Amino acid sequence: MPRYFFSIRCDTGPLDLAVDEEGDELPDVAAARRHARTLAQDLIARHRMSLIRDWFACTVEVTDEAGERVFTLPFADTVPDSF
Amino acid sequence: MTRLQPSASANGLLRRLPPEDFDRLAPDLRRVEVELLQVLIAPGETVETLYFPESGYGSVVANGGEGGTGGVEIGLIGREGLIGAAPVLLDADRTPHQTLVQQAGTMLSLPASALTEAVGRSETLRRFLLRYVHVHGLQVASTAYSNATYTIDVRLARWLLMCHDRAEGDEIRLTHDFVALMLGGQRASATIAVQTLEGNGLIRAQRGRVTIRDRARLREMANGSYGSAEAEYARLIGPS
Repeated sequence: MPRYFFSIRCDTGPLDLAVDEEGDELPDVAAARRHARTLAQDLIARHRMSLIRDWFACTVEVTDEAGERVFTLPFADTVPDSF
Repeated sequence: MTRLQPSASANGLLRRLPPEDFDRLAPDLRRVEVELLQVLIAPGETVETLYFPESGYGSVVANGGEGGTGGVEIGLIGREGLIGAAPVLLDADRTPHQTLVQQAGTMLSLPASALTEAVGRSETLRRFLLRYVHVHGLQVASTAYSNATYTIDVRLARWLLMCHDRAEGDEIRLTHDFVALMLGGQRASATIAVQTLEGNGLIRAQRGRVTIRDRARLREMANGSYGSAEAEYARLIGPS
C-alpha cells in the first residue's frame, strides 16, 4: 500500500509547517483525502493548541513517498459554510 | 551470583530500604532485560510478577475496554518506583490497566507472593511501599488534571519532563504516533506540539527521538502540571 504524509501548514502564528515524517499507509488518493478531512475536522473539534489561534488558517499538505505533493486541503473546506 | 546490595541499586525504592527489609526481598529479585512495548502487567490478569526498574520505564495505559478507542497513558513508572505495586499491595489480584515498556532497559523482577510475604513480616517495608503507592496515585491524579486543563503542547512538556526523570541521559526515544497515543491526541497534534517546543528551543527533535535542551524552560512551559507528585515523592520517599 502507498504511504501518504500529512503535514500541517498554518499561515498565522509561529508554526510554519509541521512536517509529518511518519505517514500512514492508505490504499489510494481517495482514501488519503478522506483521512485528511477527518484529521482536519478532529483537530478543529478536539484539539486546542496554545500556539495555534485559528485552525481555519491552516491547510493539510499531503505528499507521497517521493515527496511529491498529492493535494492540499484547507481546514476551512472540511466544515459546512453555515449550519 | 553476586549478592545484591541495597546501596548499589539503581532503583530508588530498593536503594532507600533499610538492610533488613532489603534482605527480605533480595533472594527473590531477578535482573531481567525488558523490550520496547513488552507487556509487564496484562489487564484483567492476576499480577504474578512485579518489576523494580533500574533503567527504562513503563507506561500505565487505560483504554475504553470493549469498544474503546486506543489507550491513554495515565502513569509512568521508572527507576523511582515499582511496577505492579498498587494492585499487589492494595490486595487486588488484578487491574484493568495495562503496563507496557516505553523505554527498554533492565529491571529487577519479584514474584507477587514474595512481596506479599515480605510486607506481612515487616511493618516498615509495608508502610514504606504504601507511601510509594500513594505518591504514584498522586502522579495519576496529576495526569487527570493536566488532561482536563492543558493543551497538548503543555502536556507534552510535562510528559517529556517525566520521561527525562527516568531516562539515562537527555535523549528520549519516541515516535509521534506514540506521543499521540500517550497524550490522547492524534499524530498531527503530536507533531505540531513537538515542533512548537523545538521552535522555542526547549528540545531538539530528530526522527524517532527528542533531546532535552532546556529543562528549566520546559518546567515553565509545563506551567504547574509537573512537580507536585515529584515533590511528594521527595517528602515521603526521599530526596532525589
